[in-house]
Amino acid sequence: MTSSSTYNAWKLVSLSPLPSWALVALGAGLVLGVALALLGLRKEPLPARRAVLWTLRILAGAAALFFLLEPGIRNMQVATVKNRVAILVDRSASMAFPADSEGRSRAQVVARYLESVAPELQALSERFSLEIDGFDPALAPLSTQALNAEPPRGGRTDLLSALRAVKAQEQSGSQKRLSGILLFSDGADNAELQQGVAGRARAALSDLEVPVSTFAVGRDALRDLAVEAVKVDDFAFVRNMITVEVEVRGRGFGGQTIPVVLRREGQVVASKSIQLKSADDLQVVSFQLTPDQTGRFVYTVAVPVFPEEAVSENNSRSFVLKVIRDRVRVLLVVGRPTWDERFLRGLLRQDPNVDLISFYILRTMSDDPNVANPDRELSLIPFPMDEIFNTKLRTFDVVIFQNFGYTDPALSISQYEDNLERYIHEGGAFLMIGGDRSFGEGRVSFPILGRAFPLEATGLPASVEPFKPRLTPEGARHPITAVQSGASASESSWSSMPELPGMNFTRPRPGATVLLDHPGLQVDGKPAPVLGVWEYGRGRAAALTVDSSWYWAFTSHRQGSPTRHYDRFWGNALRWLVRDPDLTTLKVTADPPSVEPGKPVGVVVVARMPDYQPAADAEVKVDLLSVATQKVIATQVGTTGPDGMARVEFPPPEPGPYRVIASARKGERPLGEGEDAVAVRAVGPELSDASVHTDLMERIAAVTGGKSYRLPLSGLPDVPLLDPPVVEVGRSKDQPLWDRWYYLLALVALLGAEWFLRRRFGYV
Amino acid sequence: MTRRRYIGARMARWMPSRRAALAGLCGAVASAVWPRTARAFGDSSRFVPAVLQHRGKWDARLSGLRRLAWELGRRTSVEMVPDARPLPISSPKLFEYPFVYLGGDGGLPALSEDEVENLRRYLTFGGFMLVDANDGSDGGGFDADLRREVQRLLPQSPLTPIPSEHVIFKSFFLLDSAPGRLLRKPQLESCNLGKRAAVVYSQNDLAGAWSRDESGEFELEVTPGGESQRELAIRLGINLCMYALCLDYKDDAVHLPLIMNKRR
Repeated sequence: MTSSSTYNAWKLVSLSPLPSWALVALGAGLVLGVALALLGLRKEPLPARRAVLWTLRILAGAAALFFLLEPGIRNMQVATVKNRVAILVDRSASMAFPADSEGRSRAQVVARYLESVAPELQALSERFSLEIDGFDPALAPLSTQALNAEPPRGGRTDLLSALRAVKAQEQSGSQKRLSGILLFSDGADNAELQQGVAGRARAALSDLEVPVSTFAVGRDALRDLAVEAVKVDDFAFVRNMITVEVEVRGRGFGGQTIPVVLRREGQVVASKSIQLKSADDLQVVSFQLTPDQTGRFVYTVAVPVFPEEAVSENNSRSFVLKVIRDRVRVLLVVGRPTWDERFLRGLLRQDPNVDLISFYILRTMSDDPNVANPDRELSLIPFPMDEIFNTKLRTFDVVIFQNFGYTDPALSISQYEDNLERYIHEGGAFLMIGGDRSFGEGRVSFPILGRAFPLEATGLPASVEPFKPRLTPEGARHPITAVQSGASASESSWSSMPELPGMNFTRPRPGATVLLDHPGLQVDGKPAPVLGVWEYGRGRAAALTVDSSWYWAFTSHRQGSPTRHYDRFWGNALRWLVRDPDLTTLKVTADPPSVEPGKPVGVVVVARMPDYQPAADAEVKVDLLSVATQKVIATQVGTTGPDGMARVEFPPPEPGPYRVIASARKGERPLGEGEDAVAVRAVGPELSDASVHTDLMERIAAVTGGKSYRLPLSGLPDVPLLDPPVVEVGRSKDQPLWDRWYYLLALVALLGAEWFLRRRFGYV
Repeated sequence: MTRRRYIGARMARWMPSRRAALAGLCGAVASAVWPRTARAFGDSSRFVPAVLQHRGKWDARLSGLRRLAWELGRRTSVEMVPDARPLPISSPKLFEYPFVYLGGDGGLPALSEDEVENLRRYLTFGGFMLVDANDGSDGGGFDADLRREVQRLLPQSPLTPIPSEHVIFKSFFLLDSAPGRLLRKPQLESCNLGKRAAVVYSQNDLAGAWSRDESGEFELEVTPGGESQRELAIRLGINLCMYALCLDYKDDAVHLPLIMNKRR
């Protein structure tokens, strides 16, 4: 056998040029021949002779097979390539939490450990290629110096994504095969593994096909109180109760009672107390609230901040709640049945967006129904004044008095006037429709409630001359009187409406807007108002000084060309009174309504002209108002595009609730104002949870075939790793064995000896 | 007697007593403080029944309608004009009177196309028509002609019986029956447009029970129930007016429990 210093391995090989099947066939033939020969010797009486002859034949056959296979030795030159072991270190913000009593952060504990096991890692590196990467959640190479010096800041923890990224490097061919992963983290995943290792997440871990050994770092004994989650619908219906569920976790607060407070833009809405039973306890507290206004509002749930808490930013959490209207709830109070009331009722009853509650005065004490037993013979019910003007008043979106005044003292509402006036001032809507009992001679004055009416009676007798109401310049732009699309079409419609048979004489109060007036009659030197509107406190009120708007519904159809002016007029009036967002000329929306800490606040403003066409090239100004301080902290300006839309952004403000207040103008013409709410969160998902999730780390190790450990640890444990190193062949040289003279001599000797003995024994 | 004393004596005859003066002063103060009786904006704000003029005998019961309006004003809070305004069926003025009465004693000649078109539009856009067979016919006379004309007028909304739980029977008075001067048919019939009864038809000559003569006496006898039946007919008339004015107000949920309680 020849050896060379350049070759460092060898193996036995067959050097026969024959193909495998030929070798197998010849070998089979050889074996058959030997077998037949042995069969021929079976009648040999002497066992010793038989044994000798068989042995000789078998040895000869083996020798022949040896020559057939042409054995040789192959000397080889081999090289060993190392597989990869990845060390992944979590660089998310939660790794900055303190991990030991000396105040070192979790990241620093990991750095210290890796430094302590550096010699063992060095030894491991002789068999495997080691690399250390940080993930936040993107992978990036990391040194222990950087681990010590640079605080972790990643906004999210996504363990599965990091593991996949490491595995993908192997599949892309950019890296060697992976033998194992060492994962250092606190396990506070807020991505796919947040809910644990189950379902698709579990399958994804199994698909890695590489053992992941986990090293959990962090201290369980952190003292921390956190509002972990708030569960509430995205929107609520006004005056409908909703439930807000708040999850509060306390670590290190066992046995303590904690107050939980719910605020709406600084105002306390509700508060409850919870008892934390154990050192690590999660309590759920529910708040029921009934929003009383439509719009978007920022609510904040907060628990107190205690000393030595690991993180204080997670003690409060804000959310934005949009409050909308389901149906407009209308209270219609009618002084006496008239055709005006009949057509208004017909319209409101058929509108699916209106929930109508009505009360008519069908009989006064001066009326004589001529019945012996009123209770049994009349369908009349007592007028529930206390219920509708007191208890249930604030359940209505709009209150309509249609020719409602009273000559009967039993129907006096003087004791409720205060409440009605306050209802309007605090955001309610009121409509006074004329007739003799409202502004006419038969009226009873409402000294307190009357302050909320945009028009006041003059005491003059009503005019009974037919006339056609005239649209004022303000009415030409107002949504109530827009009975057609476009200002000129609307004006034309008003001039085509039938004459009305008379009106009450009133005068507008200071600040009221007159939308329709009398073309000929005057009060105090100005055209007598027919329709007046105004904002009263947070509410709105309107007054119509005729009781014949039903002419627009009925009489206008006598010529056979039906219109919807009547429906549109009253529909617009209701929507304006309840502040329907679609009727505003300026719509302001915070986009998104909740913002993560450190992200900018975006606001979208949509401006429309008074005829509701998009207001292009309008100048928009947006203020960002801090609800906490009630101060404007920033202002942005912009210009609307062809679609009337503009978007502005504010640099990231401090956490807390804010209102964005916008105004727009086109040239000299103001286009209105609007506002919205936005919540800037105090903590992102990383800092809201200070706990160590050792269970998740253990599950990851178990599913992938790795092992789980907990820092601090002494030395590098024997972690499971895949596959021995791969051997690759470089140069090689074959050395034949079969052509040695002594092998040939042995074959000849065996064949010769067998032949001699066969002859001796008489077989040849 | 001196002149001054004479003048004083003469004046004393004409001066009111102190009691009367005090009463007058109270009255003046009261009228200043207390609202006067309301006057609506002319007739348009009041209930005024219109009567449709057709080419048959349409005016047999005008006094009944005037009486009905008067009873309505007396017994309820509705302000009315005690009148019956005759109007041609094709007149555009129909649209100023959301309540019309169509009665007939004998045949009802076919309406012209213009009349059908106008009346159909009137009913479609919210008008109410009370139809009354003054001759109490059933199968012939006014009844047969009326059914023919209703078929032309509202082919998609035929006459159907009004059930006893309909709001017409509780719109002011609680009623169980629908008598008129006669009680030929126990039920009223209606043509409904959506949920609204646009046409209500009685074969019992309702207005016949309401009619009074010049001296104020009721004109016609009511059979078989006599004066108690007449009172029920007046109440039914008032209920029909209230239905025209208030639609289904008494069907609102807030009224139901009380009404059901009363009916027990």
